[in-house]
Amino acid sequence: MSLLEDIIFSDNPSIWHDFGGTSPGYAGITWQMMIWSIITGLLVFVWMAYNLIMFKHKEGDPEHNDGLKAGFFPHERGDPKIEITWTVAPLILVIWLTYISLAPLDYLWDVPDEDETDLVVEVVAGQWYWSFSYEDGYDVPANFNSCAEIGEINGLNCFEIPHDSIVRFNINALDVLHAFYIVEIGVKQDAVPGIETLAWVDTGDVSPGEYNIYCTEYCGNSHSQMLAKLYITVAE
Amino acid sequence: MNRRTLKILSVGFLVSILFAVSAFPTGDSVSSGITGSTTSIVDATEGCTCHTSDATPGVIIALNLPDNFTAGETYTLTLNFSGGPNDASEGDNRGGFFIRASHGILAPIENDTHVQKPSGESHLTHTTEGNDYREWNFTWTAPESDNIIVAFTTYGNSVNGDGNAGNEDRWNSATFNFRGVNAAAVVDVDHGELSTPQKLIYAFTIIAVTLSVVIIGNRMVTKEQSFEEVLKDYWKYLYPWLTTTDHKYIGILYIVTGFAWFFIAGILGLVIRWQLFEPRLDGDFLTYQEYNSTFTMHGTTMIFMAAMPIIFGFANYLIPLQIGCRDMAFPRLNAMSYWLLPTGGIVIYMGYFTGGAGDVGWTGYVPYATSEASTVPGTDFWVAGQIMLGASSTLTAINFVTTILRMRAPGVTLMRMPLFTWSIFVTVCLLLLAIPVFAIALILLLADRTFGTLYFSGSCAGDLMGTTACSDPILWQHLFWYFGHPEVYIVILPAFGVLSEIISTFSRRPIFGYTSMVYALTTIGVISFVVYGHHMFTTGADPLFRFVVMLTTMLVAVPTGIKIFNWLATMTGGSIVTKTPMIFALGTVITFTIGGITGIILASIPLDIAFHDTYFVVAHFHYVLVGGTIFAFLGGVYYWFPKMTGKMMNETLGLIHFAFSFIFFNAAFYPMHNVGISGMPRRYATYDPALTEMNQFISVAAFIFGFAQLIFVYNVIYSYKYGEEAGDDPWDGWSLEWTTSSPPPHNSFTEIPTLKSAEEAE
Repeated sequence: MSLLEDIIFSDNPSIWHDFGGTSPGYAGITWQMMIWSIITGLLVFVWMAYNLIMFKHKEGDPEHNDGLKAGFFPHERGDPKIEITWTVAPLILVIWLTYISLAPLDYLWDVPDEDETDLVVEVVAGQWYWSFSYEDGYDVPANFNSCAEIGEINGLNCFEIPHDSIVRFNINALDVLHAFYIVEIGVKQDAVPGIETLAWVDTGDVSPGEYNIYCTEYCGNSHSQMLAKLYITVAE
Repeated sequence: MNRRTLKILSVGFLVSILFAVSAFPTGDSVSSGITGSTTSIVDATEGCTCHTSDATPGVIIALNLPDNFTAGETYTLTLNFSGGPNDASEGDNRGGFFIRASHGILAPIENDTHVQKPSGESHLTHTTEGNDYREWNFTWTAPESDNIIVAFTTYGNSVNGDGNAGNEDRWNSATFNFRGVNAAAVVDVDHGELSTPQKLIYAFTIIAVTLSVVIIGNRMVTKEQSFEEVLKDYWKYLYPWLTTTDHKYIGILYIVTGFAWFFIAGILGLVIRWQLFEPRLDGDFLTYQEYNSTFTMHGTTMIFMAAMPIIFGFANYLIPLQIGCRDMAFPRLNAMSYWLLPTGGIVIYMGYFTGGAGDVGWTGYVPYATSEASTVPGTDFWVAGQIMLGASSTLTAINFVTTILRMRAPGVTLMRMPLFTWSIFVTVCLLLLAIPVFAIALILLLADRTFGTLYFSGSCAGDLMGTTACSDPILWQHLFWYFGHPEVYIVILPAFGVLSEIISTFSRRPIFGYTSMVYALTTIGVISFVVYGHHMFTTGADPLFRFVVMLTTMLVAVPTGIKIFNWLATMTGGSIVTKTPMIFALGTVITFTIGGITGIILASIPLDIAFHDTYFVVAHFHYVLVGGTIFAFLGGVYYWFPKMTGKMMNETLGLIHFAFSFIFFNAAFYPMHNVGISGMPRRYATYDPALTEMNQFISVAAFIFGFAQLIFVYNVIYSYKYGEEAGDDPWDGWSLEWTTSSPPPHNSFTEIPTLKSAEEAE
């Protein structure tokens, strides 16, 4: 994709494609935000352009009868009806936007309990690596060797999870704040030392393949190197 | 107040300070204070997720090395350590190690099952089998040149044999230097290569010294004065500026200082963009640590030492003029507030001269900011300087609240104050409520860093002495953002004030809906205290808390929308004069609207979870802070420069400045939205090579945007010297500052003015 096209058609994370259809409202909220942003932006820009064209000062224009004069507080100018309109209309709009944010929010926050999941992954973040481990007693499928193929150990900066499963991540940090961010899926959760935080993914909603994990909370010198790979593989 | 009350008061103060000191929750986790920066094991390998605590000096690492090495030769080296738990000679799970060489190749000895080299890495570490030992052998092949010194970074982990990484395990690190036979005999490593920021600082110092020599020398030759006479001349010129308590002088000092820091931080911003011009390795241009210092100083300087001083410079100059009084309520306090600013700024920048400026980000999140991994003493300087700036802002706030409430001229009732005054009034109220919280949080942070207290840093995970003090690292975020969110309104509300003034004046009509503008300002001020949680959507805070702040954050759009619509309605039916200040104001409305819209997108939690801490956020706040605050105040300079100097600014240069700024601002910051959506996190010193093209586009545009500001500097100097005479009211504004002369006389007004209403004029 050319640079210009990139700027015009921003390169979305696959969340909008893969996740959107199944998780309630995700595609809807992105789309609506986009539409309302454009409407609001256009309203402002078009109105301003209209003002500049229609009401530009020309030589010899007569001074308006409520023109400004130094040392005199000007006439009150306004129209309560219009002002109430543009107070209430945005109010309704933002309440609507809050409302449509609720469904995906509910979905995100409804982290399944450990007994409702197919797999619980213990994630430990440290300066500057990710370590992962399967829950006790999890039978690792024999074909989970994507990490070995790229020369990594399955569990250190690389991990493989099954497709079509509900996977819950219990996230801990050893030293400072980190943040667990699966880039293409859009899952993000801070890792806080001393507090276990949670995230989850229904891997049935995304296609099998390679995903990136970044650290997105500033954690020191090698923050930008704290990367890991996540493989979602159909278990055999 | 008599002496006795004073005495009682001071005794009371002393007792409370003593009590506060004795109430410090101290502990052992950082009992030695912060010492030299250590690094955790980056490439920790299987079975080695230990090292959770501080380095223990009791663990002594030894690496046997010959006297020197010859190029290309292979040496067998032995690493061992002693000390730590169960310092016995045998047993299982007793230790681990890690070694990295700056040059040459490390390798395990063939068939040795105790040492491994993880594939794709250059370091060595123990295997699972090898962790039953405290001594390991391996080989090192010297590089092709032997005129260098090779540094070995080693870590030894002494564990207690229980098979679990736990509190009783101790570790330490050591660096060993190995000299090549042809290396220069005496090389003091401490005086080695200069770091890139040091080079920049030396370069700027040399330029400054050269410039002053040229200027003073030129004066000595052309005016035939001696060196002392020239200095005396300058002193005569300087003395009033150093000792002034006049609000106009202090205002200009603030504005000039603010713009000076703005240019320094702007250069830092360009340094950031140069680092990100392509995905760079550590030390390619900046080391990652230098990069971290750079964005920390860029952010801190822009917010606290550029945006706020510019705002309070204008406020200082204009508020007494707009409300018709001769000076601020407390002129000496005003001077003190100002002088705390350059002093605090210099303290913050001291880090650069002591081995690395603060590298904790402008937010200073703990536990990174309390850990020894952050720069020492750079971060301490950062905290100390911030406390001074906090004091400065608090005093300023008190001064302005008093002035605006008590010293208005006849006729200037609250509901007849110019909107700029109103915006400053709301701003200083926010400042008064928010800044002290931040200052206190900083003091606690300083205590954590230097006295070993545990307000923020007592993480159970890293506690090696078995004490149970666990403090909550999230507490800092609550304190910081309780201040930090009002802070961003503190820097944007005055910009609203400036826009209201300019748009009304250049439309030649009164502002549309003055009353609703005032209510909108105060509403934003009130809401700003209940929205801060939106910076913490991903911390795992209580869902109800997060939901409430999502709603309140969305509500901010309502009063902000009212303001934008009122500005546009002011223009409708007016007679719009498109001079530079107005062009800047309209440009601001466009960029600020974009920044506001992305703000709403970020307020929606599901989207924020995807965008949080990516470049989308960076784009958003640059649109608000540069596209809002800085553009509005650049317009403000064009608007009030005639009042301050009596000279008009050059229109042509102004329009060129606007065109370059506006186009390249958008070119630099708009693509950041896309970079962020593509998943590039902020504060990354390097990035996914797939994003190189976009980052290069951004960097080039940012450089042009930066250089375009030189047009502005030239315009200010040129217009100050050769500008047309302005007269008292060049733009036909209504507020009281336009009734006095340009520049205003010593006491601002020859006699205190009265603000009449337009009805009285008819």
